[in-house]
Amino acid sequence: MSSQLNLSRRNFIKQCVIGGVTIYSAPMLFNSVQAEEKSNIEKFRSNWNKDKKPRFRFDAIEKVTGQKIYGRDYRAVDIPTWPNEQHYALMIRSSIANRVYLGFDISFLPAEIQPYKVITAEDLKNHKLTELIEDFGGNMLLEKGNTPDYLGHEIAVLLFDTFAAFNKAKGRIQFNSNVVQYGEETELVAKSKDPYASWRIVREEGQLGQNDRYSTLQDGLFFPNYVAHKPVWPSAENSIEDNGKRGMFYAEKLHSDVETRKDWFVLDRTYQTQSIEPMTFEAEAYNGWYDKATQSMHIVISSQAPQDFYYKAGKTIAKSPLASDIKNVIVHTPYIGGGFGAKDHTQFPYYGILASLFAKAPVYLANDRFEQFQSGLKRHPFVMANKLAFDKNTKKIAGLVSDMEVDGGGRINFSGSVTMVGASAIQGIYYIPRNDITAVCYPSQTPHAGSMRGYGTLQSMSAMEMMFNEAAAELDVDPIELRKINALKPGLKNTQGALPNGDMRYLEMLEMAAKHPKWVNRHSAKAEFEAKHPGKLYGVGFGMVSKDYGTGAAAPSSSVEITPEGKIIVKTCSVEMGTGIDTSQGSLVSQYLGSAADEIEMAVTEEFDAMELFATDNPYLISQERQDQMLKDPRWTPAVSMASAASMSSFYQTQTTENAARILLEKTLFPAAVEIWKNTYFNGQFATPDFNDVSKARWSNDGLTINGYPPISLELLAKKAHADGMITGVMTHAFNRWAWASAEFELEGEIKRYPLDAIAIKRGIGARNVKTNRFGYQVIERKSVDYPKTALNNAMVTYYAPCATLAEIAVEKASGKVEVLSTHTWLEPGKVLVKELVEGQIEGGLTMGVGHALYEYLPLDESGAGNGTWNLNRYQVPLANHNGVWNMNYTILPPLSESDPAKGIGEVVMIPIVPALVEAIYQATNTRFYHTPVTPKDIVEAI
Amino acid sequence: MTMISVTINNKVYGPLEVDPEVKMTDFLHEYVNLTGTKFGCGQGICQACTIIVDNEDGTSDTVRTCITNAMVFNGKKLRTIEGHAKTSKTGEIIALHPVQEAFVNNFSFQCGWCTSGFTNKTVALVEKLKRQPIAKDQVQKIIETELKDHVCRCTGYVKYYKAVKELILSTEGATV
Repeated sequence: MSSQLNLSRRNFIKQCVIGGVTIYSAPMLFNSVQAEEKSNIEKFRSNWNKDKKPRFRFDAIEKVTGQKIYGRDYRAVDIPTWPNEQHYALMIRSSIANRVYLGFDISFLPAEIQPYKVITAEDLKNHKLTELIEDFGGNMLLEKGNTPDYLGHEIAVLLFDTFAAFNKAKGRIQFNSNVVQYGEETELVAKSKDPYASWRIVREEGQLGQNDRYSTLQDGLFFPNYVAHKPVWPSAENSIEDNGKRGMFYAEKLHSDVETRKDWFVLDRTYQTQSIEPMTFEAEAYNGWYDKATQSMHIVISSQAPQDFYYKAGKTIAKSPLASDIKNVIVHTPYIGGGFGAKDHTQFPYYGILASLFAKAPVYLANDRFEQFQSGLKRHPFVMANKLAFDKNTKKIAGLVSDMEVDGGGRINFSGSVTMVGASAIQGIYYIPRNDITAVCYPSQTPHAGSMRGYGTLQSMSAMEMMFNEAAAELDVDPIELRKINALKPGLKNTQGALPNGDMRYLEMLEMAAKHPKWVNRHSAKAEFEAKHPGKLYGVGFGMVSKDYGTGAAAPSSSVEITPEGKIIVKTCSVEMGTGIDTSQGSLVSQYLGSAADEIEMAVTEEFDAMELFATDNPYLISQERQDQMLKDPRWTPAVSMASAASMSSFYQTQTTENAARILLEKTLFPAAVEIWKNTYFNGQFATPDFNDVSKARWSNDGLTINGYPPISLELLAKKAHADGMITGVMTHAFNRWAWASAEFELEGEIKRYPLDAIAIKRGIGARNVKTNRFGYQVIERKSVDYPKTALNNAMVTYYAPCATLAEIAVEKASGKVEVLSTHTWLEPGKVLVKELVEGQIEGGLTMGVGHALYEYLPLDESGAGNGTWNLNRYQVPLANHNGVWNMNYTILPPLSESDPAKGIGEVVMIPIVPALVEAIYQATNTRFYHTPVTPKDIVEAI
Repeated sequence: MTMISVTINNKVYGPLEVDPEVKMTDFLHEYVNLTGTKFGCGQGICQACTIIVDNEDGTSDTVRTCITNAMVFNGKKLRTIEGHAKTSKTGEIIALHPVQEAFVNNFSFQCGWCTSGFTNKTVALVEKLKRQPIAKDQVQKIIETELKDHVCRCTGYVKYYKAVKELILSTEGATV
């Protein structure tokens, strides 16, 4: 079988070459039976775009008929060129982190179910593989004589040649406390490590119309030294030369005012959030085959960031002795069942690679739910000591001091940026004239924490909203009125000193909420409800936040093509994981092409090499000089690709898809139509139209039309475009660092500036003498490019989507159980691409927020998820009887105009319900809580 | 090892040699390559792995396959997510089951991992209601009762519940 592998075949596309290792990406292929089944739904599915709006999700038919193939579903037999034999891997992990590991013993297993290979730290040493996950902190497998770095530290990988042997052995090992032996008790390893990250965001506004006296955007970030694993910040001094000392000068000035100003009201509270399991329904899985004959590693991953994996896997292999054995890495990126950040940049597939290196056949490694709880990424717990000061007279915020400690778990992962984003988000919807926000992330014994939905903002913004609700009571102001007084207005800066993009519409949303009957009548309703239900208490709470979206280095790619038959093919780099990005991206082209896409391909990376782009530096750390030097190369970009996370799809991916479709309209379909109209009707019965203005062209049900000229169908225009060799495929790349890069390109003789940094085109079959690259594309040389200044990295975030939620609850006095009676959410998503998808995000996000506020909890000590005994029997994810399922209401604000961008809303929708519920509990019980989740036990004890 | 034969979606599988410790979810995935039934928790909590067992008396039961060994199904007739749509002789889907259609048209699911369990449970519910109709004002209540244990991490359940309610109310003979 292996000898039949031909790496030049078209479906293996070279991604990059790293240190002599070539990384290929390959589309997933099914076995013949599945391929046949797939073809059986094609015709049925083709109805999805027959209306102006999608009738259903693009992949709905596969999902509802059980024919959707997820990453976890692939076995060796399904993948062409792989041997049919499938082996299985089992991991042994440590369930404690406070004793010396001495070894493990599986000799009790009967001979017929013994693994044929046991991979341990000794193997890593012997094969010089110790750096296999260096990017994740190293120490891939725990060595004998060492203390585990964290609960769940990986000890060994066991390989079995049949499922039955694997299954039986697993049943005897998994919860057997005699398997792993430990010695003396030791201190936690995490206590001997420096923090993963420390951030400090200081700002003091200048006089009206003047620059800030100090801000991170204007003056830059500064960092502490570490002494005894604690941060030591610069001494305070109003120094012109040293921004750190000057930042501390303004920080301490604020501290002093918070302590001494008599005209300020200061709310001083500490808030604590919990460790949360993302519970992405498809647990992580891997299948891989190391084909020694062709020195090729074939990999199937379940990742929402495949591009990250390509480069990291390549780098990892290239810098290890494996580079002499492995020349090719071929990565298959299938659809995944849910992400929520849990499948973004995880170490899991690297253990699969390790298994593949020693396996005699393709090997399958898949977490069960216990294992996913034990080893999967978690949401970071925050402890926040906040002091929020208000001017007693104006009720305006005077200043904020926040000191955040973040639990980063056992490996660093994205802890640095989660901490930063959490810190920069605490401002919520408010204008804060002076702030000192410190956030330090510490290693711990808990499982790794990563980029789970919210990315730190859920924690910090919920705390801010809880403070606002309490401050309103203390200041004797209506909570929504206090928000209106303090809501960020256009022209005001965020805590970093940057101006948010766009009109935030906070006041409009607050006014809508203030008029909601549940809010207006909340006091009388409480009296009535409690009179009618003597065993229950009633409360209504409110919260409103504004969530940033994006990463500050977004790099989407898309392509839009029309076939000679008029079929539309859309391809994007994003991974579909349930949010519906395939549906939204496939639909949005209808504005320009008259119809939604017929074919949509997601997680495409291979073809985007057609733009021949390369990156050289970390886009967050690159200097302005370096950027200015590099941008002279028209193939250079700050970042080539991006992960599918951080609410990236609506806003960022749309940029490249929409522009590709727009170019097709402007440069192909409209000119083709004009030519037909001129040839057929000019000087005829119609008035002379303004053929120069494509913006006046419209798609009717019958085709493209302008100024009353008869519609021309896409099929006819596509046929003409292909016959005449016009542009029939447009591939686009963009870069965003809180502003879009733009560049001039010459297309069909016209030089124009586009909000893109790379374009490649494909011409119709009638084109002659067109030189294309190996992908069949012609790269359009950019004439000039403007990239956002590197100083914008200090802005941290500038794109926001606001969301407010009102929650009506009842609390059962005897049990403390909270019943969500109804909710109403207001969301400002900008332009809505597909209404049902936005609704789905609201409904699902709110429910996940209910889980955070009331149910989900993992201990941070040795009894936590890392001990391997957690599952859904004691981790309560919210069910339909927890979220007020029949009474979940919302108002989706219409865009200000059709030119509004579609905002990233996948995360913001889950946040305001958290403070709304905590406040509603206070309104019901007269007890304030400063932690999540608020459990029935907490409530019973309080009342 | 045990020999088992089982009829799944009107197709006989077996006799196959299966280890007695193998759970039905694994049997479907590893032995007969039917991956539409999903593994969620392995404890029978989340209901993602629910399938339908058709009894000889014409009634049906829903069973969680992640906690039930494959050998328990020996000789039984099962329906899984792959078996509900109507297909042509060539295997082409020509009509979805009304439950599938309701879920598709309502955008009920997102990632789709829970869809198999929701679909099977709802199919069995609608069939039961056709045998034992309920009053229209009891529809919400029975949905809450029958589907309350099904976990979905993406959707908030709203569009599932709406679809099931609409379907029951529009299904002839399901309500009185």
